[in-house]
Amino acid sequence: MKIEHFLEKNEVREITIFNQLVLNGGTLSYGKMLNHLGVSKASLENDLSSIAVRIDGFDQKVQLQYDGQTIGLSMSDDLSLQQIYRLYLDQSIKLQIITFLFKHQEFSITQLTQKLAISESSLFRKIKELNSHLKEFGIKIRNGQMQGEELQIRYFYFQFYCYIEDKTTFLAEHPNDRLTQMIDAMEKFLNVTITPENRERLTIWLIISNARVTIIDKQAKRLRTQMKAYRKDPFFHKIQVFVLRYFSRYSIEVDEVESMIHFAFLLAFPVLTEPDFHEYRLLRDRHTPIASMDTLIAETIINHFKYRRLPYMLERDMSYHLTHIHTRLYFFQGDIEIYEYEGIIAKEKQIVGTNVVSFARTLLKTSTKTLADKTGENNSLLKMELLKYISLLVLITFKMASVIQVGIDLKMDGLYKETLGELLILKLKPIKGVKVEHYDPTKIYDLVLTNEEPKAQANYDDARIYILSEILSSFDMVNIQRIIQELNK
Amino acid sequence: MRVVIIGASFAGVAAAFEVRHIHPDAEILLLEKQDNLGYIPSGLHLYWDKKISDLDEARFVTEGQLDKHGIVYHLNATVQKVNTTQKIITYDQHDLSDQLSYDKLIIAAGSRQLSEKITGSAQESVLKYKRYDEAQAALIKVEESEHITIIGGGQVGVEAADLLTAMEKQVTLVESMDYVLFKYLDEDMIKPIEKNMIEKGVDLRMRQTVSSIEMEPDQKVTVCLGEGSVTSYAVIMGVNVRPHLPFLDETIKQHTDQTIAVDRYLRTSVEDVFAVGDCIQLSGPGEDRVYVPLINNAVRTGIVAAANLIEPSRTFKGSLRTIGTRVFGKYIASTGMTEAESLFTDRTVESHRQKVRLTSLADSDTVTLKYVYDAKTHELLGAQMISNANILEKINVLALAIQSKQTLEDLQQTDYFFNPAYSQMIATTNLIAWMDERADEDEN
Ligand SMILES: Cc1cc2nc3c(=O)[nH]c(=O)nc-3n(C[C@H](O)[C@H](O)[C@H](O)COP(=O)(O)OP(=O)(O)OC[C@H]3O[C@@H](n4cnc5c(N)ncnc54)[C@H](O)[C@@H]3O)c2cc1C
Repeated sequence: MKIEHFLEKNEVREITIFNQLVLNGGTLSYGKMLNHLGVSKASLENDLSSIAVRIDGFDQKVQLQYDGQTIGLSMSDDLSLQQIYRLYLDQSIKLQIITFLFKHQEFSITQLTQKLAISESSLFRKIKELNSHLKEFGIKIRNGQMQGEELQIRYFYFQFYCYIEDKTTFLAEHPNDRLTQMIDAMEKFLNVTITPENRERLTIWLIISNARVTIIDKQAKRLRTQMKAYRKDPFFHKIQVFVLRYFSRYSIEVDEVESMIHFAFLLAFPVLTEPDFHEYRLLRDRHTPIASMDTLIAETIINHFKYRRLPYMLERDMSYHLTHIHTRLYFFQGDIEIYEYEGIIAKEKQIVGTNVVSFARTLLKTSTKTLADKTGENNSLLKMELLKYISLLVLITFKMASVIQVGIDLKMDGLYKETLGELLILKLKPIKGVKVEHYDPTKIYDLVLTNEEPKAQANYDDARIYILSEILSSFDMVNIQRIIQELNK
Repeated sequence: MRVVIIGASFAGVAAAFEVRHIHPDAEILLLEKQDNLGYIPSGLHLYWDKKISDLDEARFVTEGQLDKHGIVYHLNATVQKVNTTQKIITYDQHDLSDQLSYDKLIIAAGSRQLSEKITGSAQESVLKYKRYDEAQAALIKVEESEHITIIGGGQVGVEAADLLTAMEKQVTLVESMDYVLFKYLDEDMIKPIEKNMIEKGVDLRMRQTVSSIEMEPDQKVTVCLGEGSVTSYAVIMGVNVRPHLPFLDETIKQHTDQTIAVDRYLRTSVEDVFAVGDCIQLSGPGEDRVYVPLINNAVRTGIVAAANLIEPSRTFKGSLRTIGTRVFGKYIASTGMTEAESLFTDRTVESHRQKVRLTSLADSDTVTLKYVYDAKTHELLGAQMISNANILEKINVLALAIQSKQTLEDLQQTDYFFNPAYSQMIATTNLIAWMDERADEDEN
């Protein structure tokens, strides 16, 4: 699911216009814009005037100029594209349907048509469209209710209130004295620290959970099956005791499913800090599906990069992130694509190379085969978890890459020395994990490039020396890369 | 002034008497769904314990007492709708619908024992016995059942387990928490009880949650747990009670847990409408609002609401959740905050456990006491007791100490009588450190 699925086609186009303008420094010709959108000029004109009406509310803070030739955008400094998205989302009928459903848990068609001031047929159409996107979450709107596995429903609302609806307003609308008390108690009972950022996430989750806790007839067949492997999990047990004790203070009946839902959430999203998670990792059964997948993937990564082993803290960090990824794959379905997937993949490829991306795909294939029966490139959850694998791999390679210091010490006339030196630096810079500069006798280098045999090695301390055969030749470049690789080991 | 009260149980009846006391001229009308009056919810336990020989003896009020005070009551009258705008109540009596207007309304419709999460819990073999007719049915069913499964290890469940084992029934008790009576006692205090339960042959299933109950063809019932299942002849629901208020209109605000929101004067969000007893939350031991369905609270809230009918004059002081009972050969009592529950307060809490002798005589019984107090101020916040002797009344002393915010040091100075046959050098509830007999002596 994507954010734009909450908008109408023309609204998506309008947002694309903003996007294009921002990407192109604020101005773009009609021709280029038409090319990008693939629409007729008349329809572009239409979109532009619709935008003009919409941004009226911003009181001159956003201005759009267009004259049939070029389109220009100017925005005041305190306004961002985010706020413009917000403007569109706030008017979205689909968004209002979801928030209404969350607030009331149930609706009648007349109630909703009146509230949204739309016709019955267009309400049905919107619900149908929403359902086509909710499908990947395994849930649907039917008979005026959100239907599906309870964990999935709460998970969807959670993503929705984190990324689609304005979460600041959501948090402000829900007085949270009791939640603060609940989270404080949780911190004490689980003996963990909940950082402010994680606290916000947890607060949103608990608002959603507590609003749904009294609903009767929750579906949890899938979750119960998944939880079979975790019946004896020490963290699950703690959560269960906490949930029972907390709700025993109210006239609310909770079953096991309530604790199961919180267990899945707390391990799938960063709520615990790494040190707290580590405590759990030491206690958990290593043969459970998520834990054994963590180990398998961690080993695969270490083997792939031919590291003998990772530094202790880096390995812990990796395990922390892997558990999040694998818990999501194990328990959850669907996701909201908050990042432009294709764009990021393309960019990642440029930065980290095709290898990392395809290796990440291999990892995903391995983990989904065992953890999840979800397939298909279009599943947003898989896309988002792939991005997470990639980020993790990048993080590891960055952390593992030691930087090799290269000094260039050319023995030739001043001007040549300068320019050829600069050119060499330029050529060597893109190589990963090296720092290249003009030789400075006061510094220590791993490798010194020169064009004459040095009179005495002593001059360069322990640095390896390579004598260039022909400056800037590909022959030299290949040799230099080989040496760097050797030094890197 | 016409005062209508929905529900003629502890809260409703207490309110009615107090209204009469304050307003001699008021017209007081009780509407009660059931066809009988004043049944005590633990009547069946009294019967099994042979304290009464007929369930009908378990009554806390009679029709005559109401008549004498000029309180009108309608039995078999089920309220269907409350219209707070027009101040009209619609109710059914003997299949006829009737209406009634009110000047003041007190909602005392209480709670029921029902699970909405356990599928199959509404069938006949699943016994509840808070009401008289339910208790009658349960009495017969239990008599003919050899093996009974009890769901819930709270006060009701553990009392029932005790009485039924004494009647030589085979008992399985299912509790989702790690230990029984967890709302009232800390785990370190409960061990002797659990030990006795196991010795008496109770099949204890801790950390197990019932997901469904299924009827078997041979009159048996199967209770499905997270892991495994139990098949027996009857099932007793010892789960928490909850309000059931389908007759409210939208103007009366409710909390998420379906209780009616009230202020300190027990006024609801609508003028002239009050709510009391098991259908509200109270300020509990930690001073935040919690649900404490107990008879004492029902009675006290009933009285306070009556006092505030015309003008807000008396605030409700809250509840310490004081309880006392005898189970598996031990008298147990608790008041205020437990150590486990102190999780929900921002105070730092400490506890002290001691075992003291009750009299100065050689054959004196002992009592194990646990005090929970504020680490900084030493204010007493909670107390628990367990003994072979009947020490139940002593919990009220400590409840009063908590209510009047006494510190541990104050407690040492409380004035009690001395008589060697009934007390010892230091009174039981005078907390003095050197009076400890080793508290953990016989517990392991
Ligand atoms: C088995 C059992 C044993 C218990 N033992 C103890 C104990 O030993 N000590 C203790 O402190 N607590 C005990 N409790 C808790 C105790 O029962 C309640 O706290 C107490 O009954 C609450 O009183 P109440 O008047 O608020 O509500 P209730 O006793 O629930 O009474 C509410 C009344 O309202 C009536 N009513 C409901 N809806 C309507 C309607 N629509 N129209 C008309 N009338 C209606 C009901 O029929 C009922 O008579 C026990 C509970 C159970 C289940």
